[in-house]
Amino acid sequence: MLKKEQNDLLTQTGPGTPAGRLFRSYWIPALLASELADNDCPPVRVKLLSERLLAFRDSQGRLGLIDEFCAHRGVSLWFGRNEQNGLRCPYHGWKYDHTGQCVEVPSEPVESGFCNKIKLKSYPLVERGGVLWTYMGPPDKQPPLPEWEFVLVPSEQSFMSKRIQESNWLQALEGGIDSSHVSFLHRGDLDSDPLFRGAKANQYNLRDSRPVFEVVESAGGLYIGARRDAENGNYYWRITQWVMPAFTMIPPRGNHPVHGHFWVPIDDENCWTWSFDYHPTRPLSQDELRAMREGKGIHVKYLPGTFRPFANKDNDYLIDRAAQKSGRTFSGVEGIAMQDASLQESMGPVVDRMKENLVSTDNGIIMARHRLLRAVKALMDKDAVPPGVDIAHQKVRSAAVVLPPDQPFMDAAKEALAVRVGIAHASV
Amino acid sequence: MTAMLSESARATSAAEARFRINDPNSRPRAIRVIALDWPSEAVVKRLAQLPWASATFLTAVASVPRAGERFSVQGWLGDLAGHTKDLIGEIDSADLVVMVATGGENVQVASVIGEACSLKRVMTTALVLGATSISDAALSQTLAQLRPWALMLVIASAEEYIADMLAALRA
Ligand code: FES
Ligand SMILES: [Fe+2]
Repeated sequence: MLKKEQNDLLTQTGPGTPAGRLFRSYWIPALLASELADNDCPPVRVKLLSERLLAFRDSQGRLGLIDEFCAHRGVSLWFGRNEQNGLRCPYHGWKYDHTGQCVEVPSEPVESGFCNKIKLKSYPLVERGGVLWTYMGPPDKQPPLPEWEFVLVPSEQSFMSKRIQESNWLQALEGGIDSSHVSFLHRGDLDSDPLFRGAKANQYNLRDSRPVFEVVESAGGLYIGARRDAENGNYYWRITQWVMPAFTMIPPRGNHPVHGHFWVPIDDENCWTWSFDYHPTRPLSQDELRAMREGKGIHVKYLPGTFRPFANKDNDYLIDRAAQKSGRTFSGVEGIAMQDASLQESMGPVVDRMKENLVSTDNGIIMARHRLLRAVKALMDKDAVPPGVDIAHQKVRSAAVVLPPDQPFMDAAKEALAVRVGIAHASV
Repeated sequence: MTAMLSESARATSAAEARFRINDPNSRPRAIRVIALDWPSEAVVKRLAQLPWASATFLTAVASVPRAGERFSVQGWLGDLAGHTKDLIGEIDSADLVVMVATGGENVQVASVIGEACSLKRVMTTALVLGATSISDAALSQTLAQLRPWALMLVIASAEEYIADMLAALRA
């Protein structure tokens, strides 16, 4: 349970809000690089943290992320002409460069210098690892560029997708660190999904659906360890990483690529779910890439031409009651990503946390909220840099390991939980 | 023409949220918070000052055996005022037992509480504080004593986490 004020505090991320200020401390994924593939390509509308923005790539390849609306009379620059190093409003011809600076107002004499007085709000937009990242905070506090492992590995080793989720970011994130749902909601997929099946450890998951949990604070967020029985009295540990505010990394299975998410607020009732998959030491195979593109694993199939999932609330997520009854899927919804999204969206745009009844296995979620509230408070009161900004906090991995019973995962898996360049992730 | 909305699209709108039933959907849970060592007892005493609906605060500290001493189950669980409490009785009436421990301390007593909880089928959570200020080896020792008895184990950096956790659990 959260008090209403706490729930509002964590779920509202627009300009001027405390959690909005928290999100504006980080580089966040804004677009896939493929959305702005060519110089002078069509601009793309993107809403982030309740701000309507427009992204474009100018004639020289410079990336701009600016206020969507023309400073003259408020037309959407999505209709703009992307030409000769700038975006021209089709209404009266005002033109802006990639920093939002107005460079031409045709009605005014050039000598007047009037256009110098007009500038749209803009944010840096930088390509890294196939993703265009932005930082929406005060320029003097801009941190170094993100160094998540999936961004740094050669491009043939990683795959990234995004989808619109019609819920507040926090309930989506909470799903990402809720390890106890896997044995129920996704049980049908462990042995069938091409990006999960075949791992030796899947049998541990299926045999033991009441794991024991350990939640440990890390410098950047949390380790969430789930322990199940393995053979000979050993334990099978799955360790999820959460790095503040919205990065999660799911424990790997066998030699499959390892994956995780970013949950980025679009506004208070919608978020982008970013889903990455990468292998630290080898290129992804053609089969893996095909499966990812087809929406397997944590990815989805789309409505053509959009980032909206094909199964969505308008078609009741294509729920299949026969599959639910037979147990082929636990909820009747197909695919891991949509199993999660359908339930998180079903809570309503912003779930009312006054009504929930958390239990002790929810300590991962309770701790994440506690850390977020603490970070927001420290930021508001003392201007403290929040956890996760430091690139050292980003050099983490999830892990799946079998350990003797007397070894805490924190000790035994210390190395496995950090990035080791050129060494594969720890996985069974 | 208005498009036909699916059942899910209609039901998940913000407007529909106000029709959710507002009656309580749970009854208070009885939570016993037990300090396992001296530093934790001080923490638990501070916690007990806050207003709680259904949490009671106990200490098992008096039981920490001195070197060479055998452990005895009689008369070692107490409330914070120093009155002896009956372990089985306390646990029998609990929905959740939260054990509070400090990294590096000897918390052997966890096994007695844990045993009683598993006998009575009561859920256990262990919270470990002060883990950052000690060596890994010292922490491991405390953890090894807790691990067999805690279905959820949390290593927290701030004492305030316990209050937040209890509030989240409607204590
Ligand atoms: S069982 Fe967890 S939300 Fe219903
Ligand atoms: Fe899930």
